[in-house]
Amino acid sequence: MKLLLLEDDSGTREDLERVLSSAGHVVDACTTGQDAIFLASSSEYAVLILDRMVPGIAGLPALKAIRAAGIRTPALFLTAMNGVEDRVEGLEAGADDYLAKPFAAIELLARINALARRPPISDVAATIAVGDLVLDRIRRHVTRAGQRVDLQAQELKLLEYLMLHAGEVVTRTMLLENVWSFHFDPKTNIIESHMSRLRAKIDRGFGRELIHTVRGAGYRIDAG
Amino acid sequence: MRVRSLKPAAFGSAAFRFALMLAVVVALGAGALLFTVEQQVGYYAREASDGMLRAESSVLAAEYAELGLSGLTDAIARHRGSDADPPYRYLLIDRTGHRLSGDLPLQAARIGQGSVAVPEDLDGSRHVERLATQVTQLPGGLLLVVATDSFDVQQLRYRLGRFTIWSGIAIAAFALIGGYLVGRVFLRRLATVNRSIDRIIDGDGAERLPMIGFGPEFDDLTRNLNRMLERKDAAMEALRQVSTDIAHDLRTPLTRLHQRLERLQVAGAGDPDSIDAAVEQTNGLLATFEALLRIGSIEGGVGRRRFGPVDLSELLDRIHAAYVPVVEDCGQTFIANHSGGVTVIGDPDLLAQLFTNLIENAIVHTPSGTRIVSRLRTIGTEAVAEICDNGPGIPSDEREKVFRRFYRRDASRSTEGAGLGLALVSAIAGLHQAKCTIPDGTEGLCVRIGLRLSSANDQVTDSPKHHGLP
Repeated sequence: MKLLLLEDDSGTREDLERVLSSAGHVVDACTTGQDAIFLASSSEYAVLILDRMVPGIAGLPALKAIRAAGIRTPALFLTAMNGVEDRVEGLEAGADDYLAKPFAAIELLARINALARRPPISDVAATIAVGDLVLDRIRRHVTRAGQRVDLQAQELKLLEYLMLHAGEVVTRTMLLENVWSFHFDPKTNIIESHMSRLRAKIDRGFGRELIHTVRGAGYRIDAG
Repeated sequence: MRVRSLKPAAFGSAAFRFALMLAVVVALGAGALLFTVEQQVGYYAREASDGMLRAESSVLAAEYAELGLSGLTDAIARHRGSDADPPYRYLLIDRTGHRLSGDLPLQAARIGQGSVAVPEDLDGSRHVERLATQVTQLPGGLLLVVATDSFDVQQLRYRLGRFTIWSGIAIAAFALIGGYLVGRVFLRRLATVNRSIDRIIDGDGAERLPMIGFGPEFDDLTRNLNRMLERKDAAMEALRQVSTDIAHDLRTPLTRLHQRLERLQVAGAGDPDSIDAAVEQTNGLLATFEALLRIGSIEGGVGRRRFGPVDLSELLDRIHAAYVPVVEDCGQTFIANHSGGVTVIGDPDLLAQLFTNLIENAIVHTPSGTRIVSRLRTIGTEAVAEICDNGPGIPSDEREKVFRRFYRRDASRSTEGAGLGLALVSAIAGLHQAKCTIPDGTEGLCVRIGLRLSSANDQVTDSPKHHGLP
């Protein structure tokens, strides 16, 4: 994928470029908001990755200008700013996601993947299937190998999010944000506790496991 | 402490006291003025009647000098006339005190000016009239007393006195009402200033005091206070900027360190366990840093601009559902007892963080087998949420301290965390003007958060959107 990276700190920028290139992406990097506006409006990108605190036009007004120019490319803010309001401000300026520094490289890659393929066709599908696991999104019930599996509301939401991103890595933070609307990092293992219950219901006793743990990152559901 | 709001009917209010003082001053002034006028009028009336008596006396004395005693008695009879209420009344006595003429009582015959009481039948009712007298000694040992009706003067003085009293009362009442109304207007303006000050105390840095009006001195006061606020704001802003810069400058190399460690992790180079531990340690360091900055920015009042209605019942239900498996995995139990439809004004993300911090605190600091309870009910205009456990609790002398930054009880030194969880709870509660208390008389630890209920007339400046990611 072709990505635009706005980051003024040379060390971080080089690291990010390396991480993104090694994941198979093509990166156009720039250091000022002006350059970002110019590049975003003159070339097609899959995702814009913007740092908020950069010299010249900052990330936030730069994205506003890009959006005002009618460019709908998914955008993700990266920032060291620790603000209670930063996330909301970013989203209001037209960002699609927000990642506070420091973050794991895999977290960034997972989010770029999720953004680039948005909106997935399955978002509007009535049923989603991964292997022999089928989720009926209207009647809110799940079957595995034709057998009905009873899930609690939050387990169902968790499974739905995983299945909507089948084959992709979904991080803990993505799950916290999208399943529980928690925009902070709890100290306890909420995700692990729910995941082990979900696995016990949909994977145990069915031979092949569908939910996989991705070391140091999160989870992935696929039929393998 | 919040300033009492101005109650219009309160007799103890400053407006009423101000009006009362004003009324007393005005009443005293009016009283003094009218008393002086009354004295002057009375004096003038007395002077006038005395002059008239002297003139009448000298006319009669001249008659006597010219025409002798018979001329005098004739003149008295002539002057007296047949009128029922004559202008002058007379008494003429000889050396031995015998009445020669006139109808005044004999005791009126005292040399000089004086007065005499004369019983009189007026309009069928008996009353005593005081007459002013002028006594003149005539040659041959005669004493002539001329008296005149002092009634007019008395009536004037009586009326003037009554007028004085009623005017005094009316002016005082007018001053009281006027003073109260003016005072209320003034106090209303002061109340708007006080409300501004409250908002500033609560962390609204952009708030400035409104002009009081009523005079340049008051406006100078406001201007000076506002200038003081500007200066303090500038200093605070500089401090905040420094913190943000530090955050930026420190986190960038930390992020790089983190990324490098991750690359080693992915490459499987070196000792994987050591690298995992190093990643964990950088994470811990960054989390502490993050929490500190977050507390700082919340205490700075950032975040209140986005306040909107939050369904606290839904929020606590969601948190409960999220934490039940975690609590169960730790061998504890988690019970929810939430009233439905409880809405407060606040930031949903921050409130969620507040309650998860309390729950995590309970999970971490109590042994297996502990019962954790999340409660929500309304008491009056307040939503009262509690996270309680039946664990070991904390002694009452430490209850205030646990909300401080980096405070860790000796008993919890062995557990993880930097001691910022409850400090963040306290900061978020402060931002919401919520009461954060540890009530007595409960087993274990109970943290109570009292939030003001949202009501229909609460003004919400920003759209109350819930900013969840799609």
